[in-house]
Amino acid sequence: MRSVKWKEGLETVLFTLPAILLVTVMMYIPFFMSGYYSLTEWNGIAKEPVFNGLDNFRAILSGGSEYMGAVWFTVKYTIGFVVFTNIAALALAVALTQKFRFVNVFRGIFFIPYIMSMTIVGFIWKFIFTQGFAKLYDLTGWAFWNESWLGSPKLAFYSVVFVGIWQALGFYIVLYIAGLQAVPADVLEAATVDGAGRCQRFFKVTLPLLGPSFTTCIFMSLTNSLKVFDIILALTKGGPGGATYSATLQIYKDAFTNNRYGLGSAESILYFVFVLVVTQLVLKLFSSREVDL
Amino acid sequence: MFISSPEYADAIGELIDAYKEVAPNVTINYETTQNDYPTMLKAKLNSGEVPDIFASTSGKEIDVYKEWSYDMTNEPLAQTIDPSVAEMMKSPEDGSGLYGIAIKGNFFGMLYNKEIFEESGVTKAPETMAELEDACAKISAAGYKPFSTGFSEWWVFKHVFQHYLDAAAANAGTDAASLVASFEKGEAKVSDYPELYDNFFRLIDLAVQYGDDKPLETGLENEEAAFANGEAAMILGQGAWVEADLLAINPDLQIGFSGYPVSDDAAQCQVISGSDQAIHVYKDSAVLQPTLDFVNWWYTSDYGKSWFVDVAGVVPPITTDAESEFTIINQGKELAAEKGSAALACCYSTDSWNQTMGELFQAYIAGTADKDATCAAIEEQWQAIDGAN
Repeated sequence: MRSVKWKEGLETVLFTLPAILLVTVMMYIPFFMSGYYSLTEWNGIAKEPVFNGLDNFRAILSGGSEYMGAVWFTVKYTIGFVVFTNIAALALAVALTQKFRFVNVFRGIFFIPYIMSMTIVGFIWKFIFTQGFAKLYDLTGWAFWNESWLGSPKLAFYSVVFVGIWQALGFYIVLYIAGLQAVPADVLEAATVDGAGRCQRFFKVTLPLLGPSFTTCIFMSLTNSLKVFDIILALTKGGPGGATYSATLQIYKDAFTNNRYGLGSAESILYFVFVLVVTQLVLKLFSSREVDL
Repeated sequence: MFISSPEYADAIGELIDAYKEVAPNVTINYETTQNDYPTMLKAKLNSGEVPDIFASTSGKEIDVYKEWSYDMTNEPLAQTIDPSVAEMMKSPEDGSGLYGIAIKGNFFGMLYNKEIFEESGVTKAPETMAELEDACAKISAAGYKPFSTGFSEWWVFKHVFQHYLDAAAANAGTDAASLVASFEKGEAKVSDYPELYDNFFRLIDLAVQYGDDKPLETGLENEEAAFANGEAAMILGQGAWVEADLLAINPDLQIGFSGYPVSDDAAQCQVISGSDQAIHVYKDSAVLQPTLDFVNWWYTSDYGKSWFVDVAGVVPPITTDAESEFTIINQGKELAAEKGSAALACCYSTDSWNQTMGELFQAYIAGTADKDATCAAIEEQWQAIDGAN
């Protein structure tokens, strides 16, 4: 009896060991190393980093730096992304769980952007925004097509959010479809018998039962949008005039382009804390409101 | 050997093959990358896999990599390297040394379409601000777009700005390196230099007024296409390297090459020559001597010397009489001989600053910052980014 338990324990350890090892080497050790570098002034090239205590953090928090602007941009991006992705994905998921011809084809169409690489999506949309829209303007003459969608700082924000949502939508649709299909039919039938209409059935029965899907989708969209990087790099490279730097892109710029590895590390540590707090709060809030049958 | 500039991969492959015949026992592992070279180089330096030969930009970055680089002042190649290239390989900190070599020299200036100029009645390349305004009006009256600008690329700005910086320094009785240094210390004010405060901003304004519909969406490829297809008369921020691209689009294009109109003095309208890239030799390399033998052979042997023109097709970074088949290079050489050439001032700054500067001017073009706010930001950020190191 005892040896079986011991064997099971050994198995658990052995099976998780490769994962633990990889995560340690790839995540935890670099994390603690950047913790150290954040306390130094280092350009990433010199042989010895110079210890400078909390100077980097002081420089960031004393304000006026581009970093805070980038964080604020990311917050706005996140709000736009989380709200619109979830509303659109839920609406489309409801539509795609109806019974009509070609429903599977549509599901496939919405999912395709998600399996494409972000960089490719970025370049495709860059092409559409510049060449495609110009062609449409020639055809229709509508001023809408002639706006500088990537060239004006205000519009570039909306373009980036739009492309981000367009790309990720398929994934969240799938999660919501799974959630919708898990809503038990007998409960819905009972509601119908009790005289609930379509709307009432959706808002009073389906929606509350989608709680776990909401938590998952909102949590995923939140973390993904706080980490946004590649789509912006491919679309605008942070431009025009630095208007679309996300926090991660700004950290990359400081650490690698500007040769301030110490400062970049400090920024990433601060950002890590920020993301940790925000995601935990949101996760708590949403899981506490889930209902069980 | 780990360097950037993948466009010369084939040519360098040939160079290495030729060296095999000279030194059959030496094996050279050549590696190059298109993207993100500096980041990959940093990873290699920090993991202890230091390449025997590596690259950076010239000028200011020489100091950044100095503790890794071998000083080649006393090597044979120091005799053949072109003086304007060697100038950029000195350590700016102590004003001496030869910490790198280059694959190519380069020419920077304004490109114009000779046919459009002729058709619009502009007889010569504009050399003063007044001539430029006049040319713009005439070209636009003839139904052409005077400018295509590539303003969505940050480096376009540094290539243009350096011409104005050189003129500003010359008219203030100093040199560009000292002027850059006083900006880095936060002492210089943009508004004290009319070449920058008036003329450079005037050029940007003209380029926006007479240029692309969506300037901040226009990148290098749009700029090249508009110029090669005969839609735009002048392009900004480019140089010898775009000629092959342009001729690939339109083999009959008549390219004119000139400096920028930087002031009211036509003599100051100069092209810029020099090398913006530096190839270093790792000073603690286990195979230092063979590595030095190779770069010396590259710069001093007959094959090596003819390689630059015959195989790579670049502006030779060495003193040589070899003729080039590229018109920009030939015109650049003529102009440099006739009027002199200005300093490659963008390399006195790091690309970190140059990129930030590009973004500041983009914000100016987008209208999010006015001229004085842009100047204030330039003064503040120049000091913050380049002043510290």
